[in-house]
Amino acid sequence: MKILVPFKSVPDPNDATVVGAAASTPKSVINPFDEIAIEEALRIRERGEAAEIVGITIGAPTVDEQIRAALAMGIDRAIRIDDSRALDPYAVARILRVLIEKEAPHVVIMGKQAVDDDSNQVGQMLAGLLRWPQATFVSKIEFLGNKTRARCTRETDAGLEVIEIKLPAIITTDLRLNEPRYVSLPGLMKARRKSIEVLTCDQLGVTVRPLTTVLSTARPPKRAAGTRVESVEELVTKLRQDAKVL
Amino acid sequence: MDFAWSDQQRELLDAVGRFASQQLNYDVIENDREGVFNREAWKKCGDFGIQGLLVPTEYGGLGADPLTTVAALERLGYACKDNGLLFSINAHMWTAIIPLVYNGSEAQKKKYLPGLSNGTLIGGNAMSEPNSGSDAFSLATTAVKKDSTYVLNGSKVFVTNGPVADLLVVFATVDKTRGPDGISAFLVEKDSPGMNVARKLEKMGVRTSPMAEVFFENCQVPEENLLGKEGGGAFLFTRSMTWERGCILASAVGSMQRLLETCIRYANERKQGGQSIGKFQLVASKIVDIKLRVESCRNMLYHCAWLSGHRKSVYLEAAMTKLHISDCWVKCCEDAIQIHGGYGYMTEYEVERDLRDAIGSKLYSGTSEIQRNIIASMLGL
Repeated sequence: MKILVPFKSVPDPNDATVVGAAASTPKSVINPFDEIAIEEALRIRERGEAAEIVGITIGAPTVDEQIRAALAMGIDRAIRIDDSRALDPYAVARILRVLIEKEAPHVVIMGKQAVDDDSNQVGQMLAGLLRWPQATFVSKIEFLGNKTRARCTRETDAGLEVIEIKLPAIITTDLRLNEPRYVSLPGLMKARRKSIEVLTCDQLGVTVRPLTTVLSTARPPKRAAGTRVESVEELVTKLRQDAKVL
Repeated sequence: MDFAWSDQQRELLDAVGRFASQQLNYDVIENDREGVFNREAWKKCGDFGIQGLLVPTEYGGLGADPLTTVAALERLGYACKDNGLLFSINAHMWTAIIPLVYNGSEAQKKKYLPGLSNGTLIGGNAMSEPNSGSDAFSLATTAVKKDSTYVLNGSKVFVTNGPVADLLVVFATVDKTRGPDGISAFLVEKDSPGMNVARKLEKMGVRTSPMAEVFFENCQVPEENLLGKEGGGAFLFTRSMTWERGCILASAVGSMQRLLETCIRYANERKQGGQSIGKFQLVASKIVDIKLRVESCRNMLYHCAWLSGHRKSVYLEAAMTKLHISDCWVKCCEDAIQIHGGYGYMTEYEVERDLRDAIGSKLYSGTSEIQRNIIASMLGL
């Protein structure tokens, strides 16, 4: 079985750098949900159910650091689509679709969303474009019927939902699927010997144009200082008149 | 001169920092209180590649150069708060791995280095004796050749990793009349008949690093476990000590950097008399001192490692590096407590532990006085 894992490079959510702060570029990491997808692919391969894991990402050469991290975790090879534009989910899904048709994996595992824009759309759009089944927000994956089907546990607001899907399929990962391994130094050394294939949208024959534009990015407004109230009556009045929540 | 890291080094150092901050900082206060060695964290470090940094790749290591190694250990010391664990790792690297790498036979290297690199085996050495400390080569432990074995008799103290070690490099003399030329090194495995790892020693600091007394009573060691030549122990010990002096406090430099950042944060947050205490010049001046110490220590550490990587003798530089960093580490810890006031004295603030951990650095691998003797002798005094 061949597993394809698309992943995105995002600003490190554990980095204290503030959005828009001067003269500091936040460190980048693999999107944590995608890291879970990589880990799951590695575990599937370690169980002997997969032979190859291919990682795919889109970005400028600067994302090679995250690619090497994925290679160091243990994926077999990686492809970078050289495109430094800020692409929206639909554009990403269309690029991935072409690559998936080219690579013909049995299953695509990816994060349910990226922690920078929180769109949560690429997996679903990809399944739609490919007309493949999808299982989203997955916290458990089992392969059945000689790897022709997958039984996936989904984390929904109503509880855990178990579904079976035919392969090939798109699976998007939730937080509780696993805990990703850390990159080891021997892994880093090995990663240096693995190849990163670089392709462009032109080479893939796909033209994408973002359908959405980010107009501005701003910090959340600073919280105003609170006031102390003397009585319940005063509190109710303030909630009615100032906060207008009653 | 190039002060920049290569992309590969930067990647490696970042990986060390991420690994250590996420995987090693649990139960540190409790383990320090109880004197518990974190075996799980040890294994994680092995799997991650710390213990094998210097070990050639054909024996399961990373084959890193000395400069990259000390920088990795510095980053480890910055991100991991368990100084005892780091002390154990250092003892293992400099007193068990280094002698094996340099003096081990092919068979010895194949047998021990992969396990010592990946964290399945723990090593250490047994040199100091009740009556032989700074005067290291006056040791009384004897090794008598009998057929195809050496029979060891004597007692050793301050054996770092003793209670948990799988392999000890034990120094003994084959002929007391030959002085240093009689000293030989032996690889002694745990549970060897006649070797008795006695009581665990309680300590002021690095309490999570276990230490023991070890007794040898007609302990039989197969002759193939002689490390290096018979009578070559003193040279082997000196080489391993030179490595140790130059590198053992790399993690201390990282620990000082962490203290510096802790102090800056605290001095900016803590308000007295209507302003941050960092605005008081007496506090700011202490923090500037810490910064100066960190920078000077780091420069000496890197320079010594760089020389070593270029196959230059570092006998003098290693002694100076060890002396300077240990002095600075203790002073930084004292200043950090002073800046934190009463809170710094409290266990939960994790500043007082650093001071207890730091003080030993003026004693192990040769006391500060011994380092001064070495430096003086190298200056022609």
